[in-house]
Amino acid sequence: MNSDATPDPISRRDFLRGAAASAALGAAAPPRPARAITPLPGEIPVIDCHAHLHHHSRDGWQADDLALIEVADRLGIDRLCCSMLTPRRPASAEGFRECNRWVAEAMARHDGRVLGYCYVNPGHPQEAIDEIRRCVEDHGFIGVKLYNEHRCTDPVVFPVVEAAIDLRVPILHHAGHGHHPYPGQPNISDGGDLAELSRRYPEAMLICAHVCGGGDWEWTIKALRHAPGVRLDLSGSVTDDGVVEYAADLLGVDRLLFGCDMSMTAGVGRIRGADLDDEAKAKILGGNMLELLGRRPS
Amino acid sequence: MIVDVNAHLGPFAFRRLRHQSAESLLGLMDSRGIDVAFVSSAAAITHRNTQPANEDLADEARPHPDRLVPFAVINPSYAGWEDDLSACVDLGFRGLRLYPNWHAYELTSGPCLDLVDRATERRMILSLPIRVEDPRQQSWLVDVPDVPLDRVAALVAARPGARFHLVNGRGYVGSPLGRKDGGLPDNYRIDLARLDVLLRDEVETLLDSLGPDRLLFGTGIPFQYPDPTLAKIDVLDPPPEVRERILSRNAMEWLDGP
Repeated sequence: MNSDATPDPISRRDFLRGAAASAALGAAAPPRPARAITPLPGEIPVIDCHAHLHHHSRDGWQADDLALIEVADRLGIDRLCCSMLTPRRPASAEGFRECNRWVAEAMARHDGRVLGYCYVNPGHPQEAIDEIRRCVEDHGFIGVKLYNEHRCTDPVVFPVVEAAIDLRVPILHHAGHGHHPYPGQPNISDGGDLAELSRRYPEAMLICAHVCGGGDWEWTIKALRHAPGVRLDLSGSVTDDGVVEYAADLLGVDRLLFGCDMSMTAGVGRIRGADLDDEAKAKILGGNMLELLGRRPS
Repeated sequence: MIVDVNAHLGPFAFRRLRHQSAESLLGLMDSRGIDVAFVSSAAAITHRNTQPANEDLADEARPHPDRLVPFAVINPSYAGWEDDLSACVDLGFRGLRLYPNWHAYELTSGPCLDLVDRATERRMILSLPIRVEDPRQQSWLVDVPDVPLDRVAALVAARPGARFHLVNGRGYVGSPLGRKDGGLPDNYRIDLARLDVLLRDEVETLLDSLGPDRLLFGTGIPFQYPDPTLAKIDVLDPPPEVRERILSRNAMEWLDGP
């Protein structure tokens, strides 16, 4: 039994202070330095391909957004590819425009640290296309974020895919495959749907979101095997052993993207733990996403 | 020294585990600096009669008494559990793992309380996994929800003399289990395997509310990579005293304690 006296409470602030003090005293465990936003010449930046900013209707959104940057600093993540979702879905056109406006503000506020995905609901076809063009062409957004309002094989989604092809930006698509119903997500896409969409649009740069938070990851990886146009985002809270190696075996490391989807130590830990060489890990951590982002004309 | 309170040996029914043998698990532990692991049988989670799986585990762990601490899996609603418990004590098991939702019993049912009492008399630790797999990825054959934290709280309140390891759980901050004023005895400790650090401050909040002697290093190997838990320690960078408590002392003092 625990018979120790009640200890003094230890807050997060104490931890941070302790880390700084340890460094000052030359202790054995110095804090990790924040990584530069711009990588050193020849160094590939670490890019979280799936992150979120907090909706401004949420109390404390500013502190929460700053915490995201702080945690990225501590984990050595250089850039965060962020979208913002409406609290209620399906999103209205007004709702997704508002989210994207706030993402644009965050991109300016964090100056290159935050890269923006433009979130739209394809169910508002003209508004979605206009919004994507405005965000990418006028505000430098790096891609499109689609959620679960429509399955990705629904023809209503096709104009959005065609716009992304035209603008040469990737689409990060929410996905999941469970063997039990996904509550409240009747239109969720899975890896098989994304593979089908990729067969229709082989030139599209599709990213299947959060395989480690999207149900049966073995099913998803196998479903994507013969769909080379679909990249796999490794993010999610599930830290199952072997997922990265299995994906590398079946899909090849060039199709894998590092991501966290706000599960930061899970995202970093599974890459650290994967039995892959440094070159493969560098591709996953940033090289592959950098290559995708480089396809857009400057 | 690092002690992992959340580890397993043997095959699992629904997914291949790469490090399911003692030799392979020890190799994984060595590569990550994990000295000791509290292990139970992964096969026993789905076996009807768990005792042969416990015996297999004992055979695997026996050559490594300084590295692998065996925990038995016993279902108190299955015939002969009292005999199985005695046999496991004789085999050197130091604790039990309970899977109430996989084995279809209530934590505060009479048989479960009997099992907890008998294990406590034998100075065994009660390890309670809140989940085995994420429900979103479970096989079509099973639909096993997480163990509700309010039932865990009821059990720890009902048996203040028992010592519980709560592993593979999260959401404690919203439960009496995570509150200083939760009205519960200090007879439980919580592992880090699924807890969030920094972004949602779950670990930091538990340290505030429960104190540093209530957290445990647990990874869920070989179901899960050990590295995410190691990354949590890395980014939290706790003071040395707290680090040592979480990494090893909290686990060892109950194992070695009176």
